[in-house]
Amino acid sequence: MTAREGVDVADPWAAIEMCYAKGWTDGLPVVPPTEPLVGAMLAAGPWKPDDVLLHEPVRDRAVTADKAAINAVMAGCLPEYFPVVGAALQAIGDSSFMLHGPATSTGGAALMVIVNGPIRERLGLNAKTNLFGPGYRANATIGRSLRLVLLNCLDCRPGVLDKSTQGWPGKYSLCFAEDEASSPWEPLHVSRGFAAGQSTVTVFAAESGHNVLSHGTADPEQLLTCFADAMAGLGSLSPGRTVIVFAPEHAGHLHRGGWTRPRTQQWLYDHAWRPLADLKRGGKVEPAFYSNPSLVDWLYRDAPRGRPALPPDPADAGRVQDGDEAVRVHRGLGPDDILMTVGGGDAGGHSAFFPSWSRGRSVPFVTKEVPA
Amino acid sequence: MMRILDPTLSSPAMAAALPRAPRPRHLSGATIGLLANGKSNGMALLDRIAERLRERHQIGDVVRVAKTNASAPVSESDAEVLAARCAAVITAIGD
Repeated sequence: MTAREGVDVADPWAAIEMCYAKGWTDGLPVVPPTEPLVGAMLAAGPWKPDDVLLHEPVRDRAVTADKAAINAVMAGCLPEYFPVVGAALQAIGDSSFMLHGPATSTGGAALMVIVNGPIRERLGLNAKTNLFGPGYRANATIGRSLRLVLLNCLDCRPGVLDKSTQGWPGKYSLCFAEDEASSPWEPLHVSRGFAAGQSTVTVFAAESGHNVLSHGTADPEQLLTCFADAMAGLGSLSPGRTVIVFAPEHAGHLHRGGWTRPRTQQWLYDHAWRPLADLKRGGKVEPAFYSNPSLVDWLYRDAPRGRPALPPDPADAGRVQDGDEAVRVHRGLGPDDILMTVGGGDAGGHSAFFPSWSRGRSVPFVTKEVPA
Repeated sequence: MMRILDPTLSSPAMAAALPRAPRPRHLSGATIGLLANGKSNGMALLDRIAERLRERHQIGDVVRVAKTNASAPVSESDAEVLAARCAAVITAIGD
């Protein structure tokens, strides 16, 4: 076997610096991807080196298992994490996810990965205290692998193809496990059509999370009022999707109240709205919206007098009209646009709301099985 | 001494897989494609560029295509029209 092409360096320290010099990092040091380490990574998954795990069609880029393994080594993954990395790449590469948008847009989305099933415990994926924070190798490095693939294989470098206006720290890594034991409901992946014994990843293109703080009530409707209020903030109000991560304490209140997943989703959708007048006051209705039928449909789908027979005049986008106070503009298009999961420490009334990336519909949730 | 592997796709094999189209030698009379990525002002920007090209290089016809979704690739049918009719295509984002 001949040695593979690469860069020769004196020692691991020089290798780390070479990766910086080549522009192959996210700003943090990487593990030098030597051939033995990459070989061990590949051997832990079911894929051949040339298998394409992700094809990005806008720029016709194909990421093979070999390139994924190199980046997973650099991210600090153990080989046993590789099936999760591969499944997550397949999920963000699903054509419905339209990766080019969340990977490049000014919106600056992070790639959220939620892990379900038995593999969570095998890999030591954290579902509890400091859920989105530091401290857990599997969480930190699986999420980081996706970002390194975007940087190194899709050229999503800041200012090159990644044009995020601000981005946010979740772009380094945003991977966590669902706390299935604390959930009042069936596990997330079961709600999405998989068996409890399967392991899965569910991905979402997420803007930065909002803490939803509530210590003062155990009443489900009072509690959910705080979530609906966060979801209806003008800053992120859109026809896009929502991820809610309930802390175990909040999930317990819903459980004791007998709130099912569909009932909770419906309640949140029904209550996460702002009057059209508020959107106009905030300049959130752009004249161009009125030439986009799907955005007109979003704005007027819950109007007392129904949808306008004629398209509104673009000049009305910024003017509050008679009746605009009574038009309820909801976050998303329906209850199914709200994905609910559970995670975090057992102590504390701190949950999280993550809005979708983009002012428009954005991209769907995608769930893929992690190969055994 | 140790060897580290390249994590990028910028290998010679990649370049060979996606060869560049031949460059037009001049633009005089050439049909130019304008491909807006689907954001609000992409076509406005491209129209201004086409005006300048007409002044400076006397280009011929212009074929205007706007994607409906900035995140999605251009449709096969639009790509075929652009490939069949245009000597060169300019694409732009304009938000």
